[in-house]
Amino acid sequence: MAGVRLESVYKKYPGSDKASVTDFNLDIQDKEFLVLVGPSGCGKSTTLRMIAGLEEISEGKLYIGDRVVNDVAPKDRDIAMVFQSYALYPHMNVYQNMAFGLKLRKFRKDEIDRRVREAARTLEIEHLLDRKPKALSGGQRQRVALGRAIVREPQVFLMDEPLSNLDAKLRTQMRANISKLMKRLETTCIYVTHDQTEAMTMGDRIVVMKDGFIQQAATPDVLYNHPVNLFVAGFIGAPAMNFITGQLVEEGGSVRFRATGFNVEVTEGKAKVLRAKGYIGREIILGIRPEDLHEEPVFIEASPNTVVNATIEVAENLGHEQYLYLNGLGKENVIARVDGRSGLRENQNIKLAIDMNKVHIFDKDSELNVFES
Amino acid sequence: MNKTKLQELSKLLNATVVAKVLTGAEWEKAGGEKHPEAGDSIQTDSGCLMLARVGGSELHCVEVGAAMSPLERRLLSWAIRQGSMRPVSAASDLERQSRRFGEWIQQSVAAGEWRAEVPDRMELRNRLFEGMVPFLLSCEQVEDKEPAYGELEKTIRTYIPEDTLLIPLREHEWLVLTSDSVLSEADADGDEEIGHEETKELLASLAQGLHELITSEWGGECHIAVGEPIVPSENVVRIVATLRETIFLGRKFHVGMQIHLPWLVHLERLLSGIPETVRSRFVEEMMGRPDLFTDSETVATLDAFFSMDCNVSETAKKLFIHRNTLLYRLDKIKNEAGLDVRSFNDAVLVRILLLLYKVTKRK
Repeated sequence: MAGVRLESVYKKYPGSDKASVTDFNLDIQDKEFLVLVGPSGCGKSTTLRMIAGLEEISEGKLYIGDRVVNDVAPKDRDIAMVFQSYALYPHMNVYQNMAFGLKLRKFRKDEIDRRVREAARTLEIEHLLDRKPKALSGGQRQRVALGRAIVREPQVFLMDEPLSNLDAKLRTQMRANISKLMKRLETTCIYVTHDQTEAMTMGDRIVVMKDGFIQQAATPDVLYNHPVNLFVAGFIGAPAMNFITGQLVEEGGSVRFRATGFNVEVTEGKAKVLRAKGYIGREIILGIRPEDLHEEPVFIEASPNTVVNATIEVAENLGHEQYLYLNGLGKENVIARVDGRSGLRENQNIKLAIDMNKVHIFDKDSELNVFES
Repeated sequence: MNKTKLQELSKLLNATVVAKVLTGAEWEKAGGEKHPEAGDSIQTDSGCLMLARVGGSELHCVEVGAAMSPLERRLLSWAIRQGSMRPVSAASDLERQSRRFGEWIQQSVAAGEWRAEVPDRMELRNRLFEGMVPFLLSCEQVEDKEPAYGELEKTIRTYIPEDTLLIPLREHEWLVLTSDSVLSEADADGDEEIGHEETKELLASLAQGLHELITSEWGGECHIAVGEPIVPSENVVRIVATLRETIFLGRKFHVGMQIHLPWLVHLERLLSGIPETVRSRFVEEMMGRPDLFTDSETVATLDAFFSMDCNVSETAKKLFIHRNTLLYRLDKIKNEAGLDVRSFNDAVLVRILLLLYKVTKRK
């Protein structure tokens, strides 16, 4: 078992002015389930491929365990990969597909058989061992691809969007299965996805990437509640965080946030920090998560200085909750997440209390979170 | 000779040493003899040109940029000759036979002899009369990680145990021929006859598996083209030329793809043959905005849209974006280029424009 460490790793393609991955520093602990997440083109797959040895590292060092592996061939890195395309070998049955890597490395037949059957049992595909890939469903093929990796008993698993080809229901099911499996195997796993829900539910720690740079590396809880910048705040969470541009003003001994539809009091703790950092009188971006806008009377009564009025443009009823798309607050729709039993309808005017303890304030120029920097 | 060895030689001789590839005619023009062998050398104005390896019609040489003493020249020639000798063994017999066959294929392709039949003198000829599936591998690993013939052959045989031949062609290029019985093995239904479309799907899957195998063993960049089954004794030269062209077109028009299928590059082949003046005029006349394709998001959106047969929902899924976001992007293209890709005729024009743009960009 081993951790993985990247020290000042860069990836530059010939002929390109910009690096695809820039100054990537990360220490992944042994047995950690680490997720690399970000939009298409952010460099997450390139980073994974460098760890796998499928892409050359332009600068910097990569360690697996204590070994520098920059110049080590993929087959000698003791890793196992599962990719989005998971190209199963069409002319081999499931057993042969899973056994292939071990056969190539001249494992004994009885050892191959033991590992394949054990992995098949773990993945509940024992009944499929004689079948060819063409006769398997998408979810079954994906499990065979996982099985091919598991039998290697590697130091590190690398997975690049392995669930992307599955339908939504199967994806949710397989997410849980992979998480359970990795915990059971107690092996380091580096998982790439563009889906922030997948990242939040699976990762011990998540690295959010954009344009080749690490934006933030933290636990799901920290990323959600303490995003360091506007990008991370907007990327993590569904529905996304609401952003309203407005101004901070000093009024009657308290600090207020003013924007279209907003004239709310900032908490004293946050106000102190804002004064100290010279934000009073300046334009800032206020971030508020949909679940921190409350329509219940008890909240409205308890915090009269944080109440706003809005009109419901669209109400999406999901059963246990409703998403309200609101007009009259800021320049774009603000989304509130309320109880599904609230019975609110489109075109209704409502009052909402903002939980100002939960708001984030971002510098308009640097887009950094004022309270986290 | 790889870069590391060239650098070492350069340090030893205290002179610049570069690799050069010449034709036989160029070698003779420079003062060399006909039919040279590894270790032969020519004195040049600036130093010395020594033949390291004969690769079919190509002569792989090293050019030393300083005068060498007769002793230095003889020592280098001796070292090169030692390096070009191989130990005698059963495995190397097959390798030697394969290399001879590969050299013949190279010469025939260079001479444009597409219908050339494998001559009797080729030891492998008897194995080439049954149907075989051809794969062309063009692999560039980092220098010291390049697989030796034996290693690569063993790996491929583990993947496809049937009658399989590995034929070295140019540097970093191999032809793999394997019995077409692998297709019926891959067909899960066990049908005696596999349909044409199904055959193509199976071939693509086999190529994908081979690609994954090679890259996961050795890393680096590996391009694979696969053709429909042939009888190699009659068609091997033609198929090598076709698969080479397929990889060339694939690398030119579809950067990022590494599996190339000849039945998917017909339009690319046609456009590649159009003279540049005609291409440029077409692009100028058709495009409302000449900088439309400089935006990578636009190109990625269009590539995905065409690969998903212009299906909006599937394209949105592939790009991991909301359907409405995709529609917004397509509307933006319509406003800027005056062409709506949701209409068949406009889609055809945009596809052609996009391909022509890629050709122009990669000149």
